Amino acid sequence: MTMPKWFTPAAAICGLMFAASPLLIANAPYESTMGLVQKIFYYHMPAAMTFLISALVCGYASIRYLFGGNPRHDRLGYAAAELTVLFGIIALVTGPLWARKAWGVWWQWDVRLTSSLMGWMVAVAYLLLRKYGGPGSDKLAAGLALFGMANVPFIYISVNYWRTIHPTTSVVPTLPTSMGVPLWFALAAFLLLFVLLLRMRVILEAQRARLDALYLSLDA
Amino acid sequence: MHNVTHAGRLFVLISMIVVAGATHASPVLGAEQPASPPQQQDEFVPVDQLPPQDQLPAAPLLIAAYAFVLVALFAYVVSVARRLSTVQRELERLESDVKRSGRT
Repeated sequence: MTMPKWFTPAAAICGLMFAASPLLIANAPYESTMGLVQKIFYYHMPAAMTFLISALVCGYASIRYLFGGNPRHDRLGYAAAELTVLFGIIALVTGPLWARKAWGVWWQWDVRLTSSLMGWMVAVAYLLLRKYGGPGSDKLAAGLALFGMANVPFIYISVNYWRTIHPTTSVVPTLPTSMGVPLWFALAAFLLLFVLLLRMRVILEAQRARLDALYLSLDA
Repeated sequence: MHNVTHAGRLFVLISMIVVAGATHASPVLGAEQPASPPQQQDEFVPVDQLPPQDQLPAAPLLIAAYAFVLVALFAYVVSVARRLSTVQRELERLESDVKRSGRT
């Protein structure tokens, strides 16, 4: 399994998008109450969205693997779990850096933050299970990923149903164009990066599976 | 009768002294109200009007956030690329070993 033809041009476009996004973000107007620190939002929100999408992909692939048994789906689930941890830690670190200035605290045990932390910990548990769980851990981890996926809608809508210090989901659609353009551009860059990293990671797992098969054939 | 009236006056006088002393000592019972609101209520000021030494600078937080994102993403890309190249090398070595052992 090798890199597809579209990978290199897509990687170049992704690199350019990440190089251009700070310029767009710098030119976006200051938010009236939070000022400069609000600009963390332009990477925080895309990272958080990618974290949720990644958890959904991991859960979907795990369902397919549990009921179909195709190793391709297992590899996809494993790759997505690692990316859930990556984008999750980005969202969980940039959020408190913003909150320290905007809310006056690093962390608040409100429902959005707590459920996000739980979703991230489920992904970490998935990886630990895969690494140290021994034989059969693939199915166990796939079962765990279902809980991670079930947590995603809860994370998303929690701000609309519970009293929380975190802004609601209605903020993003009502942004003015001057703030919306850098945000959607950064989101597109994050999603493209997610697709590229997912592809790389799936290829890595496929190569590892090939390697295991070769070792087995040598032992036989 | 005279004694009773005298005792009653004495009782009223003592009571007034006690009540006056108590109201003077206790701010709860006293009718004295501050002319201006308590000092704590005057302490609430908008964040952007705080003196510079009390304001939390935004730039270090912003720089830390963007630096963390870029370092985390770069480190992950490097990590996956290194793992891929290691597995690729091992695959090539093993495949050549298999071919060699097949020939012999």
